[in-house]
Amino acid sequence: MNNDTQKSFIKICLKAWNALKQPIIATVFGLLIGAVLILTTGENPINIYNQMFRKSFLEPYYLMQTLTRATPVIICAIATAAAWRAGNINIGVEGQMIIGSFTATACALYLSGPPIFVLTVSILLGMMAGALYSTIAAALNLRFGTSIVICTLMMNYIANYIASYFVNFPLKDPHGDPIAAQTAVIDKSLHFLKLSSRSTLNIGFLIAVGITLLFIFISQRTVFGYESKMTGLNPVFAHYGGVNQRQVTLKTMALSGAIAAVAGICEIFGVKYRYIDSMFVSGGYAWTGLMAALIANLDPVGMFFASTFLAGLQVGGQSIQRTSNIPYQMATVIQSCITLFVSVKLTFDFIKWKRHAKTGADKEAD
Amino acid sequence: MENITKLYGSLLANDNVSLTLDKGEILAIVGENGAGKSTLMKILYGLEMPTSGEIYINDKLCDFKSPMDAIRQGIGMVQQNFMLFNPFTVAENIVYGKEPRSHRIFFDRRKAAEIVRELCRKYGLEIDPELKVEDCPVGLQQRVEILKVLYKDAEIIILDEPSAVLTPQEVDELLKTIKGLAALGKSIILITHKLQEVMDVADRIMVMREGKRIAEVKKTETSIEELSYLMVGRRLAARKVEKQKSGKNVLKIENLTYVTPEKKNVLKGVNIHVDEGEIVGIAGVSGNGQSELIQCITGMIAPTGGKILLDGKDIIGRPVWEVRYSGLSHIPEDRYYMGCAKDANLVEVAIMGHHIKPAYSQKGILKTTEIRKFTRNLLTKYDVRHSSLTQKAKELSGGNIQKLIVAREIEHGNKFLVAAEPTRGVDIGAMEFIHDKILEVRSKGGAVLLISSELTEILSLSDRIYVMYGGNTNGEFTREEATSEKLGLLMMGGKLNE
Repeated sequence: MNNDTQKSFIKICLKAWNALKQPIIATVFGLLIGAVLILTTGENPINIYNQMFRKSFLEPYYLMQTLTRATPVIICAIATAAAWRAGNINIGVEGQMIIGSFTATACALYLSGPPIFVLTVSILLGMMAGALYSTIAAALNLRFGTSIVICTLMMNYIANYIASYFVNFPLKDPHGDPIAAQTAVIDKSLHFLKLSSRSTLNIGFLIAVGITLLFIFISQRTVFGYESKMTGLNPVFAHYGGVNQRQVTLKTMALSGAIAAVAGICEIFGVKYRYIDSMFVSGGYAWTGLMAALIANLDPVGMFFASTFLAGLQVGGQSIQRTSNIPYQMATVIQSCITLFVSVKLTFDFIKWKRHAKTGADKEAD
Repeated sequence: MENITKLYGSLLANDNVSLTLDKGEILAIVGENGAGKSTLMKILYGLEMPTSGEIYINDKLCDFKSPMDAIRQGIGMVQQNFMLFNPFTVAENIVYGKEPRSHRIFFDRRKAAEIVRELCRKYGLEIDPELKVEDCPVGLQQRVEILKVLYKDAEIIILDEPSAVLTPQEVDELLKTIKGLAALGKSIILITHKLQEVMDVADRIMVMREGKRIAEVKKTETSIEELSYLMVGRRLAARKVEKQKSGKNVLKIENLTYVTPEKKNVLKGVNIHVDEGEIVGIAGVSGNGQSELIQCITGMIAPTGGKILLDGKDIIGRPVWEVRYSGLSHIPEDRYYMGCAKDANLVEVAIMGHHIKPAYSQKGILKTTEIRKFTRNLLTKYDVRHSSLTQKAKELSGGNIQKLIVAREIEHGNKFLVAAEPTRGVDIGAMEFIHDKILEVRSKGGAVLLISSELTEILSLSDRIYVMYGGNTNGEFTREEATSEKLGLLMMGGKLNE
């Protein structure tokens, strides 16, 4: 290796480290806290972690489990980021996911025609429903100045209870278990193609990869992506430059809702094949996605890996529950600790930034 | 102060600077932005610790850990941004931190007013102690700051850019005050970049550049030309603006009114016009409706009533992009609040407004290669010092980011340019450059509306000048008629007696 390439290699490594050090440090701290908790149960943390990660990332069967679980999480993270980068904090991804995927499921159950046609129409209608649902919050914000954070959060409950009503009454599966609140199974011809006969991994994962790539393209190469990023960084600057912020708010929220719908659709059409009451609430996909988005600081590739890592943590946690006396919730604890440490860093940055802004103003006055 | 050195990381803010100050002397420290003047004063006032070097006061070695230590040694500082409690009275503000008490625990308001009156008599400064600070004009607020320092028995008073916010008349008052204090035996350090003031009051002048002490001269032995040469390190060409015939009308504003959502009348029927090939200046103390006027013209806020014609087309109520598209560029008054996003990279800052042009995007897809080329071109053409295109705006110095914003707006090639405070807080070199660029717009037949609180800037560039006061124009001058005295009087709401 000559000197120049060596130098640029070191430069790239440094850059990568700078971008990654924050989530890595947070992860290490999160795992350390987890280790302390594992110690209190009398198990050996190194042993447990070893089993956990070996399983979820190295054994083919569990790795596929991890990727299956990661699919909706990745898409939810992207959905969160799509709105967040424009300054709209959409924490209603869960609700949009429910409305969107439930609409798609209902279409798939009642439409008839060639499978490819039904599948396409169901997915498109589902995405539209998700988009419309998130746009309600945006419209309320623009018309009445309500907070997008609070609106979207509350609308999660509304969405879940609406879907709950439908699966308990009009759309309840007439043939299955009479106590189970769920829809009938969608037709086999509509199921997503499996990538392996041994597991549940399906083309939903490829869709997640595709959405990540599409999101990178939108955010870096389009006028819309540029305008929404600038709106997020400094709304006054965007306004000054001629960006129509009402449109940016409506469009980013709609995009976010549509992507959220895809997350739910992948889970239903690829894994569960029916809508089961509260399935997305108990799964916590949207919140895991939100954590992944925070950990990766909205970077698309970072979110992809953070989501996969968190999914692996959950799969590993489940498998460890079967072989030791560590409960599955340990995974949640570690995951939350990581997010907590990342947000501590964010808060710290914010304080530093404010202080810097102040001294910066002083310097200006020099 | 002896051999003061201050390092910020790898940045040498002060390089082995020494300074002496005698009793009753006025020392002026001049230098461009970032020359290290403020850093040096922060060290003297205990706000920063020097990396090396020592401070002696009355031959006694001092070690300041905080401003409290400095105050105890008789050093006082009047900051550029006033630190006053606006809803409180003058007297309350002055005695704050060392209040007179009755029965040891109660604040003695009467005595406070008494103390302030006594203080005023002693130093010959007039002010009503019962007045609320928010009702005082800026000049009086500054006087409160000075009295605050005097109340704490300061022997050395540091004034940081004291005239930046004042009208010409207030500046005269301030300079008188400074001379008076020096005559009473106080030692004064005046930090400024206004050389005329320096020549008016200072006894001795220290010039700083790039953290070093470049020269120290007696006032009687120097001139403004020499000082500016020392500050910048090169001779500045005297600006000569050729007279030019103005052409047809570009901007016409009739009876423009604006009422804020809080029902405050900010613009009260403004009438102005700008023609081709002319620079029209708007002078005024900030806060007299200039900001709102600019925002109405550029479409950022919708006016309540009136007409704005740009090239004969009514642009009232049109969105910003449409106004810009019909031929308006806008250098904003605040570069970080409006002119850029601190965390955006240089490409993103440079392309704003250009990004919807067919040359840089098609069907919503950005042409990244062209955009990078465009940005690189701007950066070289306008001499913006940077290390890479992916640098963030906040990593550039204020002057450089200002140059980039000016570049972005002028390169629109629009016929009409709104330039609001185009050189606020930039150093002399950059200021010259920006002025050249604005004059270039004019010589190409463009029209410029220049809004500035810097009178010299208005006077040296404008063909015609409006004065704004209280939400309306208060006088109009041609270049030949205008003097800073006349403008200053009108800026304060006065009337000219013909």
